[in-house]
Amino acid sequence: MTSLFDQIMNMLHNHWFWGVITLACLVWYSTITVYVAFKGAKDIKNMLKRLDDIHRQSQL
Amino acid sequence: MTNFTILDGSIVGLYLLATMAAGIMVHKYVSNVEHFLVAGREMDVYLGIASLAATEFGIVTCMYTAQNGFEKGFAGAIPGILTFLAMFLVGYTGFCIKPLRDSGVMTIPQLFEKQFGPRVRWAAGVVIVLGGLLNMGVFLRTGGEFLVNVSGLDPGNLEIMMTALLAGVALYTILGGMLSVLVTDFLQFIVMSVGLILITLLILDKVGWETLVSTVETHYGEGGFNPLKNSGMGWSYVIFNVFLNTATVLTWQTQIARVLAAKNSATGQKVYTRTSFFFVARFLIPGIWGIAALALLTPEQVGGNSLQAMPRMLAMVVPAGFMGLLVAAMLAADMSTDSSYMLTWGSVIYNDIMAPFRKTAWSEKKGLFWNRSIIAIIGVFLLFYGLWYKIEGDLWTYLGLTGTIYLSSMSILLIACCYWKRANSWGAFAAIIFGAVLPVGTLVLQKIGPYTEWFNVHDALCGAVTYIVVALAMIIGSLLKPRGGIA
Repeated sequence: MTSLFDQIMNMLHNHWFWGVITLACLVWYSTITVYVAFKGAKDIKNMLKRLDDIHRQSQL
Repeated sequence: MTNFTILDGSIVGLYLLATMAAGIMVHKYVSNVEHFLVAGREMDVYLGIASLAATEFGIVTCMYTAQNGFEKGFAGAIPGILTFLAMFLVGYTGFCIKPLRDSGVMTIPQLFEKQFGPRVRWAAGVVIVLGGLLNMGVFLRTGGEFLVNVSGLDPGNLEIMMTALLAGVALYTILGGMLSVLVTDFLQFIVMSVGLILITLLILDKVGWETLVSTVETHYGEGGFNPLKNSGMGWSYVIFNVFLNTATVLTWQTQIARVLAAKNSATGQKVYTRTSFFFVARFLIPGIWGIAALALLTPEQVGGNSLQAMPRMLAMVVPAGFMGLLVAAMLAADMSTDSSYMLTWGSVIYNDIMAPFRKTAWSEKKGLFWNRSIIAIIGVFLLFYGLWYKIEGDLWTYLGLTGTIYLSSMSILLIACCYWKRANSWGAFAAIIFGAVLPVGTLVLQKIGPYTEWFNVHDALCGAVTYIVVALAMIIGSLLKPRGGIA
């Protein structure tokens, strides 16, 4: 844990611009992956349902 | 030496099985060409984010961005920051993408026909396909080399592996079109993202931030952090990348296909703004892997091939178990890219290049047959071109230059089409001709003639000049045409 904290502090001080961007990438990417995993699955379900409805209507 | 074990092979096999099954299962929802090419325009925001991110990150992306990190340090991630800014601004303002999506077209050249006429639509289709396929031609070999290096497979099996990978991707793309692409992209986004994040954390833990920074300082000094102070970059590189990345966001077929498949223009804009920061990660994460390779490998281990440095480093440091995740992540990245590229470039061939042959409306069945056949033909082309083309110079610049063949002219045409009423077919043709001739000329002069060295060193300058010349060609050509002329 201390090692992780030291690593982050090092990133914020040693060439902070790239350190901050790297940290932001990892935090943002981790968060969006989890969020999109749930919301995207819902999108797929809704998309396939709508396409199925359209297909059924066209056959009536 | 690599840590690829049976456990890793099982992880990869499971991933491949799940993806193929998902891709093939959704093909039953495809009943017409619009479903096949733009998923019936039913794509919502989060699926769009997953699909756009997965498509825009392939093994080839990982390789050239890591090469940028290895050769340019952190400054090599500048194109990612520029793409982020361009995509965020375009998404936020709706610049070009809103009128494009609102017009209801399936491809960009279809929009051009409304202002510039059918000949420009056809010519634009040819240029888009030419630039796109040349660009995509290096994907398979580069991807195959990565997989061989990290998994320790016999390099003699590279061609067989490439063929098998492409055949699998082609199968579900041919069957399900954009629907299969979206669903498999979603799965691939998750696998790819988990792999990228975990491997980056592993590298940061093993190598350490301080070592990465000091390695860049030792090799490149201030130029490793600031592109303007880097001898291989400078203003011309930054300006070229501003033009290139803005044009990519506006017209790159795989990106714009997400806007066109979105439920409406507002959804398309949200997909752009919310995915934009991914493009920083797209350059920075593999860039860090490239810097780690610079820190850990000896010049003998690199063997003068900076493109292969990153996979060689990964083969050394990634332990068993993680290796399977890495290969699955990279396969996910590559498959999503290949499927989307084949589909979206195929859509331009069908929708625009073949438009003159569809004077009477084709049945949906015939349309689907042709779309599927075109994807199969693109797959065959990729196999052959991917096998024999040997790239000179760095990969990012090759991709930038081949992309510029159409990006320069198509972006100028799109902007003019959306916002300049005086723009006409003369300007459009002038832009297309200059946009194709200048990058092709640069590629030729990099290989033959007395100035090969100059053109290899100043490729970014040539690329930047192309955009300016193309814009001037559009303006001058349009102004020269008498008012009231037929488009």
